[in-house]
Amino acid sequence: MNTRLLMMLHVTVATPQNIGAVPHGTRRTAPLSGGDFEGPRLRGTVLPGGSADWLLLRADGVLEMDLRVTLRTDDGALISMKSFGLRHGPPEVMAAIGRGETVNPATYYFRTTPRFETAHPAYAFLNRLVAVASGDRRAEGPIYTIHEVL
Amino acid sequence: MNSRPLMLLRFATSATEEIGSTPHGKLSIFPVTGGSFEGERLRGKVLAGGGDWVTAKADGTFELDLRVTLETDDGALIHMTFTGVRDDANHYLRTLARFETAAPKYAFLNRLLAVGIGQIRPEGPVHAIEEIL
Repeated sequence: MNTRLLMMLHVTVATPQNIGAVPHGTRRTAPLSGGDFEGPRLRGTVLPGGSADWLLLRADGVLEMDLRVTLRTDDGALISMKSFGLRHGPPEVMAAIGRGETVNPATYYFRTTPRFETAHPAYAFLNRLVAVASGDRRAEGPIYTIHEVL
Repeated sequence: MNSRPLMLLRFATSATEEIGSTPHGKLSIFPVTGGSFEGERLRGKVLAGGGDWVTAKADGTFELDLRVTLETDDGALIHMTFTGVRDDANHYLRTLARFETAAPKYAFLNRLLAVGIGQIRPEGPVHAIEEIL
């Protein structure tokens, strides 16, 4: 599989909303308070309004992530990004992340599959691609390295 | 990004069901009548009954939304879905695949994300599915 770097995306997480035990697992919503992104073809900031990560901890210990983010480029285009992801790893690593510690992202699986929608002609190429990302969970919020699938 | 081959997946489809123009675009359903998959860690056949819900968008691309059931050669059932993009102008057919299974032997599929590199061949669609490492 060939890929190329699309952007690095940093998001900051506000206070999570713990929904609790639901029929599919344990649900938590993490609103985003902001962030920024930068890549060879686009850069800008994360709008806090409609951006959050809807999290579901499954019975098998895997965390499902349903991230929805609005990006605003430095030239004013709005881009809607949605990405489904999975996060799991050894219990001690996941516990360290839970305590807000910085851990080596190679020690756990944190991958997502972003899709994009925009009406802005300069960024229409984003409507026509699928992407994959690897995540690095930091205390202030995740850092995603997003690659376009070529 | 690193990946490794998961399976080569071939679908047999029957006549397209043309739903027509809907608020989201022109919707066509490609019923899956069978097929096969083969990889180092799993192989078997595609069961009839699934399909790909394909929406033609205003920019000339197609949005794919597939659901099928895979049956391994040792009898496990695997629910597979993908979404994806087909952009014929750029020879681009890429999908994002997910799996669900209750079979312990194949539980690793519940924990991974995958990308498909697709081709439309005369005998039907073929997708090279790679696990995202």
